[in-house]
Amino acid sequence: MAEPAYTVASDSETTGEGKSSSAFPEIAIGIDIGTSQCSVAIWNGSQVELLKNTRNQKLMRSYVTFKDEIPSGGVSNQLSHEHEMLSGAAIFNMKRLIGRVDTDPVVHASKNLPFLVQTLDIGVRPFIAALVNNVWRSTTPEEVLAIFLVELRIMAEIQLKRPIRNVVLSIPVSLSRFQLTRIERACAMAGLHVLRLMPEPTAVALLYAQQQQQMIHDNMGSGSEKIALVFNMGAGYCDVVVTATAGGVSQIKALAGSATGGEDLLQNMMRHLLPNSEKLFSSHSINEIKSMGLLRVATQDAIHKLSFQESVQIDVDLGNGTRICKVVNREEFEEVNQKIFEKCESVTIQCLHDAKVEIDDLTDVIVVGGCSYIPKIRNLVKSVCKREELYKGMNPLEAAVCGAALEGAVASGISDPFGSLDLLTIQATALGIGIRANGNTLVPIIPRNTTMPARKELIFTTVHDSQTDVLIVVYEGEAEKAEDNHLLGYFKIMGIPPAPKGVPEINVCMDIDASNVLRVLAGVILPGSQQPVVPVMEVRMPTVDDGHGWCAEALHRAYGSTLDVVTVQKKI
Amino acid sequence: MYKTRKLWTPVSTVIRRARPTTCRLTPYSPNSQIQSLPSQLETSSRVPPRYGSHFLANLKISSKTYCSQPAVKIDTTTKRCWNCDAFADGTAPFLYCDFCRSIQPVDFSIDYFQIFGLEKGYEIEVDGLEGKYKDWQKKLHPDLVHSKSEKEREYAAEQSARVIDAYRTLSKPLSRAIYALRLEGVDVDEEQTVSDPELLTEIMEIREAVEEAPDSHTLNQIQSEMKEKLEESSNSFANAYQSRNFDEAVTCIQRMTYYQRASEEITKKL
Repeated sequence: MAEPAYTVASDSETTGEGKSSSAFPEIAIGIDIGTSQCSVAIWNGSQVELLKNTRNQKLMRSYVTFKDEIPSGGVSNQLSHEHEMLSGAAIFNMKRLIGRVDTDPVVHASKNLPFLVQTLDIGVRPFIAALVNNVWRSTTPEEVLAIFLVELRIMAEIQLKRPIRNVVLSIPVSLSRFQLTRIERACAMAGLHVLRLMPEPTAVALLYAQQQQQMIHDNMGSGSEKIALVFNMGAGYCDVVVTATAGGVSQIKALAGSATGGEDLLQNMMRHLLPNSEKLFSSHSINEIKSMGLLRVATQDAIHKLSFQESVQIDVDLGNGTRICKVVNREEFEEVNQKIFEKCESVTIQCLHDAKVEIDDLTDVIVVGGCSYIPKIRNLVKSVCKREELYKGMNPLEAAVCGAALEGAVASGISDPFGSLDLLTIQATALGIGIRANGNTLVPIIPRNTTMPARKELIFTTVHDSQTDVLIVVYEGEAEKAEDNHLLGYFKIMGIPPAPKGVPEINVCMDIDASNVLRVLAGVILPGSQQPVVPVMEVRMPTVDDGHGWCAEALHRAYGSTLDVVTVQKKI
Repeated sequence: MYKTRKLWTPVSTVIRRARPTTCRLTPYSPNSQIQSLPSQLETSSRVPPRYGSHFLANLKISSKTYCSQPAVKIDTTTKRCWNCDAFADGTAPFLYCDFCRSIQPVDFSIDYFQIFGLEKGYEIEVDGLEGKYKDWQKKLHPDLVHSKSEKEREYAAEQSARVIDAYRTLSKPLSRAIYALRLEGVDVDEEQTVSDPELLTEIMEIREAVEEAPDSHTLNQIQSEMKEKLEESSNSFANAYQSRNFDEAVTCIQRMTYYQRASEEITKKL
């Protein structure tokens, strides 16, 4: 919906250096909201540039403090994150918590963070609160994220001397569409318009594509197709993609991801150092939070050091009479976190398998993200890909935000005289989408790793004689049992003329456009009729709001199998 | 099954045209296109049965909006760009105007083989497809036309989707075979019940073998057998297609369908 004035400005591709003030304001900024750290970058007319805050930092801690009347985040706040954490007033890890219900294991794993995360295990949103003047002040991950994004926006606006509206945000692969709507909502609350939500490793893949193009330009590389595996692991998530790039065009061959990250390594380590920590900190009093915070900071510090040295001395007084004094070596760290590393390995293997790419065909293996400094992580990716060397030439902590900024420029229609923005990423779906059918199973209609835009359909039928209504419940995910997936929405098709079971043909069509918008269409026809017997329904998903876990259970309790559908069996 | 498809497929084409394609946050309002669905469906039910996923092939009949001309084969030299009125140079399929860089409306007289600059046929060089596919996407992908008019963004969405479909169809032997036959006016129903008694017996035997397979080694063995047979029937399809023996070609496709499915089933079990 470009304004006519803008259209004129961007259509004249002869504006030269691209630095003219009329073309500049349109460029969307790239934001990488990390679980632990955050950064902003923009295409400055000739290259990607990371923006710095007033303390000259390019990477800012992702947290918000509710100490004063006006909450403040890690962008502008002068006080150290470590200190804030001890007071219970700082909320962080919002990217892990956003859009999750209180039955989610990731939420449960967040209960010993130094602020309040309470669960009732009934499928509603968890109760999250910061301790302000000895009172728990409730908040939501959306609110925290929005406060943080406002700070980022203001920082960028001051530096770029113009209003910022359009953004490209990098996101974890494994987030459900419901979670993405929460992120979009947070952006809207912060006055930002999301041009694209880009899975983090695909942003890295875009940066890789640009670097390859650059090499051809400098006569250093060949123009042939290059296949790369990108492994990206931060504090919250572990994501992998396989990309095939040629001539600046990247086809995402497969994506895989898991909510497994540095935070899990940290918690396992804390549990290792203080085995009954959960019990000790169960009441979340100010003193407990302080102890929890101290243990957290000390453990985090130790893990960082273990990336560069074989062993580390931990000596921390938790202030409650407990003092931990221990030497931990790298082997111990790896043993404590064996399950996490196994998970990372299986995500990588699955991605390679889904991409149908032989490891010999990989041109490069790229490992980025905060956890890429951990020797075990680098080694496990190397060993899965049977490589001696990993790709060099990317800053592991800045790759994702640079990719997001490139996409921001490309999606804003900016072109570069040297062809540096001659880029395109053809995305694929990260999670399968289907409906509940055949009892309680998820029948995928658009499988994961389908090239977008995508459209697929499947035919279902009724399970009861004279069944007049059917319930179409849409889920996203890979689990076989429907309720183990993310509920996206549901709707009823009503008024089907009475017919024996198995006779009405219920056609469910799913459509994802290039902007990743999902629509579900459903229509019913009876044999002998050429037209749908009821008007076709078109529903934009997700439709569910909060408490969707609860919702699925309530649906099941209220309707049982009365509105079920089954697939029409393929004849072999 | 056909009824559903021929009835259904245009429905999806309608929404592709009806929806906003630019940004995620554009509020979506069900517009007049949706209300006009029944008539779209009615019109489209006259379309001869087609292979399911090639929904776009039906568009020329259902969408009167921008195909004012009858769907007859037009000589490429007479094609002109809707935007700058330049003539197509005729060296490449006219999906995109090289003069003003605007994307052209979908022209269904251009088949998938032509899109990839290939002679119509079953035996093609699959390796070259991906590069060509990417070249097209670089010109046609909806991501790249944000600043263009709504009309052109619609063209981008449709052209890009059609090229993805073309690439998907031609890169796999089975779908390529079915498509090649369809261009000859022969429609194959993948779901059709197998009537060839010889194949039926074989299916029963293989199914039994898979069910009774004691270990993954045996399953692997059966799978490589399936792949071999798939290869064989693919070759016989090529011959049948070449000699225009379409009845035989259809039988080959049935065999290919079955071997592929069996192979997929085994992969699931492994």
